[in-house]
Amino acid sequence: MNSSSLHLNLLKPNERLSSSPVRLRVMLPVGTLLACIGLLVWWGVVFTQLMMVKTQSNAIQEELDAKSKEHAEVIKQRDLARELKLQLEQLEYYKAGVRSIANPLAKLAEVVPLRVQLRELSVRPPAPQVLLPPNVKIPLFGPTENVETQKLAIAGLTTKETPVVSLMESLGSGFETLVTHDRKINSFRQDNAEAEGRKLLSFEVEYTMPERRFAK
Amino acid sequence: MAQNVLDDFLVKLQLTSTKTIDIKFPGGGGSKSATDITGVEMFSPDCEGCRAVRIVYKKKSWRLAAAEVVNGPDGELPERWEDTPHQPTWELPRAFQSPHAALAVNSAMSSFSQSTADAIVQDMMAGLDAAPSASPIPQADPGKKRFGLKKEAKPATPPPKPAAKSSAPARRPEFPKDGESVSENGRRFVTRQMPEHGFHIYSSLPEFQTLWVSRLLPEGRRPTASSIQVAESALMASAFLQPEFRAADGNALVIFARPNAFYFAGYKKGEPALWLKCPSAGGTTAMRNAIKKTLGVGEDLVDSVLNDSLVDPRPALEPFARPVLAQLELSLAYLTSKHGLKFDHALMIGLGAGAEHWSAFAEDALRLKLIAPDPFDGLVIDKNVKADCAADYLVALGAAIAGAEVSS
Repeated sequence: MNSSSLHLNLLKPNERLSSSPVRLRVMLPVGTLLACIGLLVWWGVVFTQLMMVKTQSNAIQEELDAKSKEHAEVIKQRDLARELKLQLEQLEYYKAGVRSIANPLAKLAEVVPLRVQLRELSVRPPAPQVLLPPNVKIPLFGPTENVETQKLAIAGLTTKETPVVSLMESLGSGFETLVTHDRKINSFRQDNAEAEGRKLLSFEVEYTMPERRFAK
Repeated sequence: MAQNVLDDFLVKLQLTSTKTIDIKFPGGGGSKSATDITGVEMFSPDCEGCRAVRIVYKKKSWRLAAAEVVNGPDGELPERWEDTPHQPTWELPRAFQSPHAALAVNSAMSSFSQSTADAIVQDMMAGLDAAPSASPIPQADPGKKRFGLKKEAKPATPPPKPAAKSSAPARRPEFPKDGESVSENGRRFVTRQMPEHGFHIYSSLPEFQTLWVSRLLPEGRRPTASSIQVAESALMASAFLQPEFRAADGNALVIFARPNAFYFAGYKKGEPALWLKCPSAGGTTAMRNAIKKTLGVGEDLVDSVLNDSLVDPRPALEPFARPVLAQLELSLAYLTSKHGLKFDHALMIGLGAGAEHWSAFAEDALRLKLIAPDPFDGLVIDKNVKADCAADYLVALGAAIAGAEVSS
C-alpha cells in the first residue's frame, strides 16, 4: 500500500528545483568551464615548458656545435703540440747525440807518425734508415733507432808498416771519444806514389766509432 | 516505510542550435529523500496565511515535527495570465525548511473528481475555457541557454483557445499516463487509475497557476516544491496514516468534514475508489451557523453544545445531517456493489466537535458507526507542536503524506 496512488502531482519533473545551495544546473557548466580553463592553463604551462625546453635544447645544440668545433680545434692543436713536442724531443735526442770530434781530430795531428801521410779521414754515414715504413702516412721525423754506429776511415800513405802500427797504437788510448778498439785494416798495399826514391804504401784502416746515442 | 520515488532531475545540455543531450541525475530536483517533507495548504478561504505541517520519517515512524499557520506568499493566486508577471518568492519559517515541500492549492479554477477517460479527455479539450487568456506569460524565455544549458521548455505563450472556439478541427489530446502531469489547452492535468475499470480520478489546475505556484519557493533554499496538488487531492491523502485506515488494509470510507463542504472518500487497498462532494449540504461552517441560529448560542458555545450533554443539539443538527447521511448511504451502496466493500464503520475526519451525535444518526439510519479520529493519529507528535486544531491541518497533512509517497 503506497500513498503514491493518492498523489496527484501537477508539478512536472523538469519543474522541480533543487533545494541544495549547490545547483547542478549552474555548477555543472561552471565546473565544466573551470575544467576546460584548467586544461587550457595546464596545456599552456606544458606548451610554455615545451617551448622553453626546445629553446634550451636549441641553445645547447648550438653551444654543442660550437664546442665541437672548438674541441676539434683543441684536439688538432693538442695533436700539433704533441707532434711538436715529439719533434722537440727528437731534436733533443739529436742534440744529445751530437758527437764532438774536433778536439780528438786536433789531437790526432799530434800522434800521427812522421812517416805517415794521411790522405783521407772520413766518417762514413750509417746505412740509411727507413723513415717511411709501410702503413705510415707521414714520414718519420727522426731515426727509428736511438743508437747509431758509424765508421771512421783513415786512409794514407806510409813508407813502411811500422808507422801505421804506431798510429794505430796511438789511437788505442786517449781517443775513446773518437774511436773504439774495434778496427779493421781494409787495405795495405803498394801505391804508385814515391817518396825519397822508393815506392810508398797506401793503407786504409777502418775504426768503429763509439755509439752515438739519441737519448736524453 | 518511506520511499523516494521522485523522478530524476533532467538537464538538457545544448550542443548546437539543433542538438541537445539529456543528462539525467538521480534523485533530481534535490529530492534525495522524501522522508522529511513539509505540506502547505495555500490560499485557504478560511485562514489568513497558510497552514503548514512538517513530517519526518524517523525511527520507523512518521513524526509531526511542526504544525503552524505561516505567512503566505506576497501576492494572491493569479486568476488570469496577465497576473502572472508578479511572481513573488516565498520563504518558509525555519521549522518548515525541509528539503521538499508539497503544496496544496485552493483554487476556484481547480478541479478534482472521478470520471471516465472520455470525459477527462473532453475536459482536457475544453481546457482553459473558464480562464481568460491574454498576453503572453512575461517570463524569461525558458528555452534560453544558460551556461550552455537549456531548461525544459515551458509554454512561453498562453495556450491556444479551446478547440471548440476555433475554426480549426479540434485535436483530441492523448489520455495522460497514470500519475503523469500533462499540459493541455492551458490546464495542467494529472490522473490516477481507479480500481473500477474505466474510471480515473483526476485533478487539474490552470497552467499559469501551476507555474506561478511552482516558482514560489526559489531554487537553492529549503524547501523547494516537489509536489503541487489541488486541496481536495491532498485532503483525500490525509487519511492514509490513520491507524484505522491501515488496520483495514486501506479499505475505508472516510467523510471529510470541511468548513465549506462534506466529502466522501472511498479507498480500496489504499487506492482511491470514490470521491464525492456532498451536493446538498454546506460544510462545518454552515453546520455551526445552523446550531447557533436554532439554539440561539454564540460561536464560543457551539463546541460546548456539541460535546456536552446539557443541551441536546440534535434537533438543530439533524436537518443538516440528513442529506449527508443520504449521500453516505449512496456511497456505501456504490462501494458495496462496485467494489465489494462492506463497512460496519466509517471514519469522519475534521469534524472537531459533535462526532457522537453524527455517529448516533448514522447508526440509527444506516447501522453504521462513525469514528472520528484525530487527524494526527498515526503520527508521533513532537513535544513543541501544538496539535489542538488538528482538523485545520488536514489538507497540509494530506499534501505532505501524498508528496512523501509513503508506503506501508
